[in-house]
Amino acid sequence: MKERIAILDGIRTPFIKADGVFKFLDADDLGAIVVKEILARTGLPAKKIDEVIFGNVAQPVHAANVSRVIALKAGLPFSVIAHTVNRNCASGMQSITAAANQILSGESQIIIAGGTESMSNIPLVFGSEMKDFFFALFKARSLKDRLGVLCSFRLRYLKPIIGVEKGLTDPICGMIMGLTAEVLSREFHITREEQDEFALLSHQRAVAAIKEGRLAEEIIPVPVPPDYKNVQAQDDGPRENQSREALQKLKPYFDRKTGTVTVGNSCPLSDGAAAMILTSESQAKALGLQPLGYLKAYAYAGLEGARMGLGPYFAINLLLKKTGLTMKDFELIEINEAFAAQIIANERAFNGQLDRRLFNVNGGAIALGHPVGTSGTRLVITLLKEMARRKKQLGLATLCVGGGQGAALVLETK
Amino acid sequence: MEKAFNLKVNAAGFAQLTFDLPNEKVNKFSEAVVLELKTIVADLKNRSDIKILCIVSSKENIFIAGADIAELDKITTAQEAAEKAAAGQDLFNQIENLPFPTVAVINGACLGGGLELALACTYRLVTDNEKTSLGCPEVNLGIVPGWGGTQRLPRLVGLLNALPLILSGKPVKAAKALRIRLADAIAAKEFVKEKTDAFLEDCLTESGRKKIFKARQMMPLRQRILESNPAGRAIIFFKARQDLIKKTKGHYPAPLKALELIKKTAGRSFKRGLKREARTFAELSPTAISKNLIQLYYTSEEIKKDPGTTAEVSPREIESSGVVGAGVMGGGIAWLFSYRDIAVRLKDVNWEAIGKGFAAASGIYQQLKKRCKIKTARINLKMHHLSGTLDYGGFQNLDIVVEAVVENIEVKKELFGQIEARVGAETIICSNTSSLSINEMAAGLKHPERFVGLHFFNPVNRMPLVEVIPGKKTSPQAIATVVALAKKLKKTPILVQDCPGFLVNRILMPYMAEAINLLQQGAGLARIDKLIMEFGLPLGPFLLADEVGLDICFHVMRVLAKSYAPRMKTSRLLEALYIEDKLLGKKAKKGFYLHSAKKNRPNPLIAARVKAYQQKNSIKPIVFSDQEIIERAIFIMVNEASRCLEEKIVAKPAYLDMALITGCGFPPFRGGLLRYADQVGISKIVNTLNNLADKHEAGFRPAKLLTDMAKARKTFY
Repeated sequence: MKERIAILDGIRTPFIKADGVFKFLDADDLGAIVVKEILARTGLPAKKIDEVIFGNVAQPVHAANVSRVIALKAGLPFSVIAHTVNRNCASGMQSITAAANQILSGESQIIIAGGTESMSNIPLVFGSEMKDFFFALFKARSLKDRLGVLCSFRLRYLKPIIGVEKGLTDPICGMIMGLTAEVLSREFHITREEQDEFALLSHQRAVAAIKEGRLAEEIIPVPVPPDYKNVQAQDDGPRENQSREALQKLKPYFDRKTGTVTVGNSCPLSDGAAAMILTSESQAKALGLQPLGYLKAYAYAGLEGARMGLGPYFAINLLLKKTGLTMKDFELIEINEAFAAQIIANERAFNGQLDRRLFNVNGGAIALGHPVGTSGTRLVITLLKEMARRKKQLGLATLCVGGGQGAALVLETK
Repeated sequence: MEKAFNLKVNAAGFAQLTFDLPNEKVNKFSEAVVLELKTIVADLKNRSDIKILCIVSSKENIFIAGADIAELDKITTAQEAAEKAAAGQDLFNQIENLPFPTVAVINGACLGGGLELALACTYRLVTDNEKTSLGCPEVNLGIVPGWGGTQRLPRLVGLLNALPLILSGKPVKAAKALRIRLADAIAAKEFVKEKTDAFLEDCLTESGRKKIFKARQMMPLRQRILESNPAGRAIIFFKARQDLIKKTKGHYPAPLKALELIKKTAGRSFKRGLKREARTFAELSPTAISKNLIQLYYTSEEIKKDPGTTAEVSPREIESSGVVGAGVMGGGIAWLFSYRDIAVRLKDVNWEAIGKGFAAASGIYQQLKKRCKIKTARINLKMHHLSGTLDYGGFQNLDIVVEAVVENIEVKKELFGQIEARVGAETIICSNTSSLSINEMAAGLKHPERFVGLHFFNPVNRMPLVEVIPGKKTSPQAIATVVALAKKLKKTPILVQDCPGFLVNRILMPYMAEAINLLQQGAGLARIDKLIMEFGLPLGPFLLADEVGLDICFHVMRVLAKSYAPRMKTSRLLEALYIEDKLLGKKAKKGFYLHSAKKNRPNPLIAARVKAYQQKNSIKPIVFSDQEIIERAIFIMVNEASRCLEEKIVAKPAYLDMALITGCGFPPFRGGLLRYADQVGISKIVNTLNNLADKHEAGFRPAKLLTDMAKARKTFY
């Protein structure tokens, strides 16, 4: 990268378990809330923004190109262009690197990048037989034709495709994400107990971070529709009373017979959005603003989908080769916790160089949740804010990506 | 005089009569116009070369706005009115009887006499222009359509469609006009010329005519059932009367007479119907109520054009706002701004309070949705205009900030210091205070020139009035900006000078205090309320006190008593009820009344307190006549209003009257408080006030303005 990208500031909504209190907020609503807030926090007038890029996986049917809908709902002028990116679980990082490229190529100067996901609102889908039935019904004109179509109906047509389930299944290897975690648990010999132990740690760290007010610094409270009786200020995933016993009780979810991955040692389905404002380091200086941090370098890597959990290992190695850095150089790390097994697999792959004391110090996705399009952005925000607190200079944010990719970003604070 | 009409006939026999009233923005029927048209129509009768005539307007967004209101205002006798009605009826009959078909091409407002002209035409073509509307607003001016509208409209669209149009005065838009076959065809506004040409051709063919008449016969089943038999029609008229009485409480004769007129003439002889219509019009036109309503129309037009300042400044456009204090008023103001697509940054001390502000705004949107005024998707977009902050984040780029926090001058002053530190020097800062001094608050500001009082009324979504209170240092630009903003928000802004209570509360307080006085001296609680509501106010004083809240009433009364002593005093009874009995009013279900879901009944505690008071002060309960009660309550308002005019708190009597009408529901049919005072007679009021002052309280002593006016035989209007 020819110059660093300045991250002026970042903000996110609380992360809420799907089909919970955020179910009346669509992905574009969540995104609009964080875009409005990040503008207010940095004090930039809306007309100074050149572009909006959001990551989103589910692509809500009512809001095609959700970034554009977000930009306009947040009150940005019509002249601000917007597009939406999708790199599965790393969409929230893809938006950041895409924005970086726009800035470095001189196409745009100031960009709002982020991620949003409303897994609550991923629809159930009618299969093709039901769709054909409906279309035939619309086309039929005479009473005779209509009756003919109606008689062709079969009850099996009603069987829905569960959108979120399909979305989390890799069509190439045919595995839902949890099964890829099972693959890694076998490959790296990760026991059920080891996974539960890590899950508990994630909750404990998250609960402490909430109690000590650290997470509140990156969250904008959200008045909750439809009647706005409550204002949601906290992530609702972390459990104060999480315990090994409670985790032990759960049965393996993805492989009932011989599996070790449960809903307790996996991240939950969640709703949430996050946004940040990016510009070049020199532009930030010219604006007289003190950025939260800087993006220095990034890498994406590809691997087989069945072992997608090792994405961080592959992407980080690529990044280290690119930058000449070593694992020891990173003072703080945020790595997405899709599954405890996936985290431990990376720990073992790095042979001790991925230090549990240095990553996800304020809890991770297992406790906080993983709105798939958003997490990439959240990791960067959480990382930079904690680096500022600890006065650290060099950090790493990394994700595994469903479908077989990994993403890794080098962040700096000075 | 320049001609208003221009007739063109082409070789194929297609004629176009263009109405373009010289030197006016709208087309209207003045006597001169009627005369000119009469001559033209007389000529047209003999034209054998014309196959079809279309009547168009060249005014932007206006077809014909109605009759000339100034001429209506001048009518003082039934005779004049009857002649005016007959002249128009005759003219439109002539048009109806022309030997060729006529088409009214309606691209804009088509109201009153304009609609009656269109009804006399054979066909009507509307455009889908947003501004196209067809209606009979006559009842809003205290009269009825007098040029055949009450006869032609029901015969064309049926009773169920005609009655709401005529009785409510509310117009319909193009799509609805087409649906009820008030219009026969609709054109895209941008292609009106092409569509008119095609429509004219169509009207000259047998099949085209057949299609139009067939469409007019198609009535929905329910309507057909009700209207085709006498029993059904009786139900329609009965229900219409019930609705009218409920809405108007019998105070407005025009819609009731219109209903009676239509009932007696529907389906009967057209000629006799016209005669009856002319008689009804003649009865109503010279009445005081009609003149009052016309005066109010003039005042509201004047206010619409009034920029708020004589200085040559242009108001700034407001695109973003802050509201500090998300309580009942703050939430309502946030709703108001968001509804007109102004971004709102809502600030309060904790997120729970901010959430309440969101809930208040959302609640109002849900009310609108229930009345089918807005769809869910739109509500979502408008709610997104709101966002919250605890620490004034996002205040740096705002155009205006309105504070609506607790009525405490120290708290507010500190707040303004905080706000000023966060906003630009040009940002307008407003206070929604109802009782504190704008000048005192401005004193602490670094830039007092951008500080203005902006007093909304509760509930913000329903009360049209906004009192705009400039401080001594407020710049004309700030005033103009705020006045323009109020109009953008579809409110009625009235400039008021800084004094305790401003205008409306200052006039209402002595009225409330007097009502309590009357109560203490023996008049019944429910009786006082009933009389005041019969007088025309929507709520009697005690119901109003409960609605507003006894705490707020007491607080405002105390502030005013301090400033306007000795003529204004706090009421001991109110103090006792609020402080000792802890009665709060409707919000706590207990006040002067006990409020329940079904009915309110007077709180027995009040009677007990009154009795105790009478015993303590050796007062014998007096028996008041109805007139005494009304005079004491209303004349004291006139007195205080006069003082407001003396002190130049408000620019003119018409504005004062409009403020009371839009701020507390003073009955429009009376034309306003001061208009009513003129009609009662200033001398009578002065004498009554002097009597009351001699017998009871010095507070009744008439203001100097009143006594001067009585001596000089002057009136407010």
